[in-house]
Amino acid sequence: MSSIAEPSSPPPRRATPSLSAVQWTGVGMLSVLIAIVTLGPMVLPFDPGESVCPPFSRPSLPHPLGCNDVGQDLLAGILSGGRISLAVGLVTALVATALATVIAIGSAWRGGFVDIAVMRFVDAVMALPFLPLVVVLSAFFGASYTVQIGILCLVLWTQPLRELRAQALNLRRADYTDAARAMGASAWYVTTRHILPELVPLIVPQFIRIAHAAILTESALSFLGLGDPIAKSWGTILFHANARTAFLTDAWLWWVMPPGLLIALSVLGLALLGHGIGDRLQDGTVSGTERDGDAAPRLGDALVEARDVTLSYGEARALHGVALSIPKGETLGLIGESGSGKSTLAMTMLRLLPPAARVERGSAWVGEDDLLGLPKAALRHVRGRRIGLVPQAAMNALNPVRSVGSQIAEAVRVHGATRAEATARAAELMRLVSLPEDRLSAHPHTLSGGMRQRVAIAIALAAEPEVLIADEPTTGLDVLVQESILDLLQDLSARLGLTVLFITHDLPMIARRAGRLLILQDGRVVDEGAPTDLARAPGHVHTQALFDAILPLRGSKRWDRDIPSGAPLLEVQEVSVTFGTGLPDRLRGVRPVQALREATIRLRAGEVLGLVGGSGSGKTTLARAVLGLQPMTGGRIEVAGGAPRPGGPATMIFQDPYQSMRPAMRVRDVVAEPLTIRGMPPEGKVRQALSSAGLPSDDALLDRRLGSLSGGQRQRVAVARAIVAAPKLLVADEPTSMLDQSLRAELLALLERLRAEHELGILFITHDLALARHFCDRIAVMCEGEIIETGAADAILEAAHPYTRDLIKAVDA
Amino acid sequence: MVWAKTAAAYLAVVLIALTINFALPRLAPGDPLSFLLPEDVLAEMTEADQTAVLAEFGLDRPIPVQFVDYAIGVLTGDLGTSVSYGAPVWRVVADHLPWTLLLMGWSLALSTLLGTALGVMAARHRGGTRDIGATVVVLFLGSAPVFWIAMLLITVFSARLGWLPSFGAVPLTAFPGSPGYLWGIVERLIMPVTALTIVQTAGVWLTARSSMAVALARDYVTFAHAKGVPEGQVFWRHALRTAILPIYTNVMIGVGGLLGGALVVETVFSYPGVGTLIVAGVEARDYNLLQGVFLVATLSVIAANLVADLTYPFLDPRVRR
Repeated sequence: MSSIAEPSSPPPRRATPSLSAVQWTGVGMLSVLIAIVTLGPMVLPFDPGESVCPPFSRPSLPHPLGCNDVGQDLLAGILSGGRISLAVGLVTALVATALATVIAIGSAWRGGFVDIAVMRFVDAVMALPFLPLVVVLSAFFGASYTVQIGILCLVLWTQPLRELRAQALNLRRADYTDAARAMGASAWYVTTRHILPELVPLIVPQFIRIAHAAILTESALSFLGLGDPIAKSWGTILFHANARTAFLTDAWLWWVMPPGLLIALSVLGLALLGHGIGDRLQDGTVSGTERDGDAAPRLGDALVEARDVTLSYGEARALHGVALSIPKGETLGLIGESGSGKSTLAMTMLRLLPPAARVERGSAWVGEDDLLGLPKAALRHVRGRRIGLVPQAAMNALNPVRSVGSQIAEAVRVHGATRAEATARAAELMRLVSLPEDRLSAHPHTLSGGMRQRVAIAIALAAEPEVLIADEPTTGLDVLVQESILDLLQDLSARLGLTVLFITHDLPMIARRAGRLLILQDGRVVDEGAPTDLARAPGHVHTQALFDAILPLRGSKRWDRDIPSGAPLLEVQEVSVTFGTGLPDRLRGVRPVQALREATIRLRAGEVLGLVGGSGSGKTTLARAVLGLQPMTGGRIEVAGGAPRPGGPATMIFQDPYQSMRPAMRVRDVVAEPLTIRGMPPEGKVRQALSSAGLPSDDALLDRRLGSLSGGQRQRVAVARAIVAAPKLLVADEPTSMLDQSLRAELLALLERLRAEHELGILFITHDLALARHFCDRIAVMCEGEIIETGAADAILEAAHPYTRDLIKAVDA
Repeated sequence: MVWAKTAAAYLAVVLIALTINFALPRLAPGDPLSFLLPEDVLAEMTEADQTAVLAEFGLDRPIPVQFVDYAIGVLTGDLGTSVSYGAPVWRVVADHLPWTLLLMGWSLALSTLLGTALGVMAARHRGGTRDIGATVVVLFLGSAPVFWIAMLLITVFSARLGWLPSFGAVPLTAFPGSPGYLWGIVERLIMPVTALTIVQTAGVWLTARSSMAVALARDYVTFAHAKGVPEGQVFWRHALRTAILPIYTNVMIGVGGLLGGALVVETVFSYPGVGTLIVAGVEARDYNLLQGVFLVATLSVIAANLVADLTYPFLDPRVRR
């Protein structure tokens, strides 16, 4: 039972090559311009300051751009002016970016009053009109380009500061930053080794933006007569041209045109270089992808039938001739792990696919219509009207700026209802999904996750479809809320006689609710049948593995250990933590939240203690306190006889292996980090830890970057990192919840082996009661920051607390 | 509470602007007197005279007292006297401000409409050759110095074609109030507004294109399709509805930049707005005038921000209270 499902997005499309071509053009333009202004003045025989020809001379062979009002060669002036203009831009960018980076990191790291003060100041400076500010500063401080650079820096560092600080704040809160601090890393270590490297890709576009603004502003200042009278820039040349109204004569062609064009080209070069950097534009879906190849003949008479559906993303095939059929009124559970193609299949039936997707062949019928063969215009009468979609992550599926009522009513109106009918129907739908009618005028952000999902269900049912596709409809919801949504869906489909395609990765949940199951692996249907039949006689090894991985709430315990008799290892006594009590938080209007209320737990060496509770119950806060990352407001913690401290005898394995280690780091450096921070030689121990974690310990793996590993491999690397410094206590925060079912069992077996070999104590945090019952010796149940129940794992079914009973009900068959 | 916070934030900006104005003559290299009086006057004064002047301006008193005096003066409309105009700075700036606002208003409206329309269309056909071509052209126009564009406009439409006058804001020959007079004002408005609009449109275009592209890739757009909503309605009522938010914010933030552009453009056309005061101030070393322009510019931009802050909740229900 995972609350965080696989990302269902298709494989990322390769970046549009033309974009980087745009950036190369920018690089090329800038290089040529810099080369010209650096080398040009060396080749030219004239000094830009000496009068070498009659004033206002027209262009001639020795003076290709003619001369200005005092007989100076314009070409020489323009070439040496470029040096000033570009130098001002680049030096300003360099200084201002460096300043912004340092202050951004410092401010984000320190937080509190320093951060508030810096940000308020920045906000105020940014609200000042830019050019008038620079003008008034330049007027008082005098006209020289060194002063200009100083003033430009003073004004231009604020915008990048704001953006870099926001990012630095995110990075500071990132799991891998937490991980490094839990290992005992100093602030300097974390900022230089983790935050700065991640910030660099964002610093580059800031540099470009400042250079862009600095060159334009310098030219404007010089044009207003505030330029350096000795070192003339392009702007100064235009100032003189304007003062002599050169644009009214033929001289516009050689006096006005070249310097302005050069400014524009330099700035354009920077703009092209910066264009698209930091853009994380995703492709949306395209409505009405056409089928390239043949339709397939219809065989049965089920209401929904798919045959030979074959689809690819570029070269990679995602669906290989998938077939399914659902008789009217039945529910089919479509099971698959991440990347199996289950969501792709659903969206193929609706013809809502990313631009890279290609439907090669196959058919999908609802009643008489082959959806894959329908003309594009007919599709919208199928969507909503005949097939309703319950999307995953309803928080993103509702338009944030439109009221819930208008979004429900829209789904009715687009299928032909009048405004009055739609309004009445919307109210009726709210009752159907058990939401109060007065929430029709509410906007999605004011609703809880469960309520939003109910709204999404109301929208799916709005036009009374015969078929419902539910695509992981409980993703991201709390366990108990998940249960209520599932009950609602089951109840509605029974009452309305809906035919349901239910997509999920959660086998035990769907086995209880669907009449038949279809098992998808790597885009192929590998097994199909009634849940009980599949459990008894699986037709494929994958089915077998999926059923084996289920941990039932009842029956014999999978990990039954002797009663641990080791030394007391962890002592948590009446620990309380309250967030948001500091003065800076109060000033921000944050209300204090009591995350832990007098929590008490004990753990012996070699023992596994389960910490169970819903989201926001305080499990993770307790874990952070044990690691010494979270200051307590009351109580006492002892780890192996000492106070909790980062880099102490406790280490942590995080929930999300994609977040807890930086993808850019090598496996070698990740695993060695706890040793590096302690100043210990890593050689040997790293390999040993990797092989303990069940990974190869050869150079090939050691040199790979984390980003190139799969989720299962990453979590093993995380385990290796956690054990490399020989800890006594392992804090595991939902270590299996991001992994596919089949990988979970492997990771648990690994943790058990390590526990037995090293007599590790394990504090095992999970929201999954069944898992806790099997893997832990004792269980502590948390609710709203309190430990409401502690006892032997085996005895959890007899628990008395109503919250625990609800949790049990949610997973009990 | 929110009101108090917003008010405090605006007050902070005004205070910083005041502090900068107050600190400049005292921090800048050179004698504070040299910022108060023209050079030729200063050269003829004796040391006793100078001390007397210092006392008269209150410059011999403690800094905090001077600041309070200064702030009170500013709040009561006393920005000092302009040396070059021989009149109170407040009056001089107030006389010129309407012309600048006229320029800004037209170019703000035109560039927002044009940039949004073209940018939203570009988002629909993103990634093609034509899109890249359009991007390069727009980036080029946004990269060109606005005063240079203004000079080239004069070259073409005044010097070569003789279609439009290139000087001032009002015709000197027509009788004020007559149709010819009004037409003269419009004629003289066309080129400065065009120059500003060209530069400003580029920024709006980029924001509109990217925020629309982001909106089109959102889950709620996919879900709207899944509801059976017609494609046009998905585009306008779902994607554009949310894409408007960043466009609006960026346009309003850009008002300060637009003001800077207007000041520079005015100097090219000798347009009698606040921008011409800057050039006059720089030439005559009229520091009071420059400070006054800066302060009024700050207040105008704050006013624009305030309007943005107050109107934004109508567009985005998430920030409503």
